[in-house]
Amino acid sequence: MNTVDIPRLRNIVGEKNIKTDPLDLFIYGADASVYHAAPWVVVRPDNTEQVQKVMAYANDAKIPVIPRGGGSGMCGQTVSIKGGILLDMKNMNRILEINMPDVYCRVQPGVVDDDLNAALKPYGVFYPPTPASSRIATIGGEIGNNASGVRSVKYGATRDAVLGLKVVLANGDLVTLGAHTRVEASGYQLEKLIVGSEGTLGVVVEAIMGFVPIPEFRCLGVANFDSLRDAGNAIGDIMASGTIPSMLELVDDVAIKAVNKTMGLGLKEVAASLLFEADGKVMEAVEYEVAKMQEICKKNNGADLWYSFDAKEREQIFMGRKKLFPALSQFDASMASTSLADDMAVPYSKMADMAAKIHEAAEKNGIIMTAYGHCGSGCMHTKIMMDVSKKEQWQGAKRAITEIYEYVNSIGGTTSAEHGIGISKADAFRTEKADSLKMMAAIKAALDPNNILNPGKLQQAPEDWVTATDLRYAVNS
Amino acid sequence: MQTTETKFKNLEKWEGMLAKCIRCGYCYEHCPMFKFTRWESDAPRGKNILAHGLLTGSIELTREIAEKSFSCFFCKRCEAACSSGVQITDIMLDMRRDLVELGYKKDIGTISTTDRSCARCLQCVRACPHDAREYIDLEGIVVDPVKCKSCGICVEICPIEAISIPLPFGTDTENMDQKAAEFLNSTESAKVICFACNWSYHPDIQNSKMPESETHDKEYEILVNLCGGRLDKNLLLTPFLNQAWGVLVGVCPDGECTHDGNIAALKRVTKMKETLETLDINPDRIHLVQIPRGDKQLFQAEIDTFMEKINQLGPIR
Repeated sequence: MNTVDIPRLRNIVGEKNIKTDPLDLFIYGADASVYHAAPWVVVRPDNTEQVQKVMAYANDAKIPVIPRGGGSGMCGQTVSIKGGILLDMKNMNRILEINMPDVYCRVQPGVVDDDLNAALKPYGVFYPPTPASSRIATIGGEIGNNASGVRSVKYGATRDAVLGLKVVLANGDLVTLGAHTRVEASGYQLEKLIVGSEGTLGVVVEAIMGFVPIPEFRCLGVANFDSLRDAGNAIGDIMASGTIPSMLELVDDVAIKAVNKTMGLGLKEVAASLLFEADGKVMEAVEYEVAKMQEICKKNNGADLWYSFDAKEREQIFMGRKKLFPALSQFDASMASTSLADDMAVPYSKMADMAAKIHEAAEKNGIIMTAYGHCGSGCMHTKIMMDVSKKEQWQGAKRAITEIYEYVNSIGGTTSAEHGIGISKADAFRTEKADSLKMMAAIKAALDPNNILNPGKLQQAPEDWVTATDLRYAVNS
Repeated sequence: MQTTETKFKNLEKWEGMLAKCIRCGYCYEHCPMFKFTRWESDAPRGKNILAHGLLTGSIELTREIAEKSFSCFFCKRCEAACSSGVQITDIMLDMRRDLVELGYKKDIGTISTTDRSCARCLQCVRACPHDAREYIDLEGIVVDPVKCKSCGICVEICPIEAISIPLPFGTDTENMDQKAAEFLNSTESAKVICFACNWSYHPDIQNSKMPESETHDKEYEILVNLCGGRLDKNLLLTPFLNQAWGVLVGVCPDGECTHDGNIAALKRVTKMKETLETLDINPDRIHLVQIPRGDKQLFQAEIDTFMEKINQLGPIR
């Protein structure tokens, strides 16, 4: 249990950077997931040297260390289910360099995504992975999670932006991985290994990230469909046509109804809507791409076709998608919106079947689920709306999730496209990656022989995600 | 977690809404307390987690928890940004009502407090825009910890400095003074201090630091205070005593300030202009602008115009 040498940690990071009060530990026991488990101490290092000293101590004493950025993870990645030292990286928040000639920026892990983009904007460039949580998510957390967002279909995920990293290993050693260059073929791509490792292999203390020019023109189009299958077919056809959308979003009927119900936006209540966007430096080229996507929608029985370059009009249309998240959490007074099986990716051709499967599994198990997402990158988001105080609702959710993941696996999809594995998706992850689990365990054992870095996550996560650790809700038995 | 019989009679009704908080953390960037300490325990999400923990019996009430509940400046920016529509400040007010019944009443959090040197002039009672202060025989000035919104108008109006906010989170004159002097003395290119109101404007970069290459030739620094009404004459003078070329003050437009702080700020800026004139300094070196809530573009335009003027005037000789 709690055997942390608090005076020693205080000596390393200073009095102002350590919290041991039960209230602080309780708060840091939560993130944006359904879980709650308090750490033994919260430590907030100011610099790399302090991170090294904390890790060296924790390694000697075999105490778990959980690195944490904004605490916006949705799968329990930063919930300290084994206790230990919660390493809050928010003090290492300086943008170190914006290097225009070499097209990279160098940042500390606690830099907030939106802040980095605000700093890059005057140079006419942006950092593209940007998840929806970019106003709170830190670059360190995004690296740990391999985060991405609505524009990943064109600009890729965090792994595509990472050029190099400085990482403190479990024993406190500092290593420099990758390079300052766009390409590198010098052996193992170890910086990419750290991306998506959810704090289980090392603590990122500095990152070299690429950026891209801000496009001069954006054009957004909309198409409504009376059948989910037609919308799904349109997605597949768009991606196969050679067009490069900068965004391709699907919204299903449950989502449209939720937005109308809570926001009164008066959107047409159809089976599905597609939002498609192109961007670039040349207006005619952008319009060509959008017109082509519109034509494909029309061929697949899309109706109410519309597109516009106007920023205000685009914002008005996109508001429905942006407001979806709050709309779902206010869907019904007796229900809360939970993130569980919430970001699987499937092949384009299976998009419509996937959405249908989600609806079928939800209905069968007495919960409400919606399907929406960045279909251009194959990502399908869901939210489960349920009465979180009722145990049977959790059991229903669990059954639905199991069915959905069985289907995802059967069609060559993947457990998580954006949000990572943490605790809540570990079961499906282990099934999907069954033949590489040994390899993962070997890598973990080589880099962290005492298993102190974020233990109990990914392949190590408990088997029963409902009961293995405290849910943050009061659930009646 | 099991629901237990609650001693939080007012808070109880919010349990469902607290469960709806999806803990996205979108409130962080808007909270002046979180921006000052960068501890998640000071952010609105943290307070929601505590309130939910108390209701479900997952955490025991302590004075430290009560202190968090009594710490808020009621700018309500968190509420406006909340992705789940959680009524954070209403929840906190009900929690305060319960805490008062449980004995937590004074010298706590951001609730203004009056020390024994109080001369009972009652200026603060008359000035409080929230009707939170009253004089009671034998007790002196009593503050209602539910009504007090920690705007600090009383702190600034007290002629003998008997009023303070126990946990000021960097909003006190001393801290603002220090920040202004630090910028002016450590940056060679420094010329202007812009005091911005948390309600009407806050800078783009929320919780990160710009590269040194971007800040070494900075001509102005934006210091975000809680309300223009809290800018006392000494604070307006500090930049000039530290070789500033000018001072820009941003406040809410007429009728929009929750504490009538913009009126107080106008009076102080007018007085400071008179003081500058007596010192044979151009009074245009201090300027007040009204900025509607969140209008960053307008404030930036006002800053640019003011900088142009100040650069024409040059340094004070």
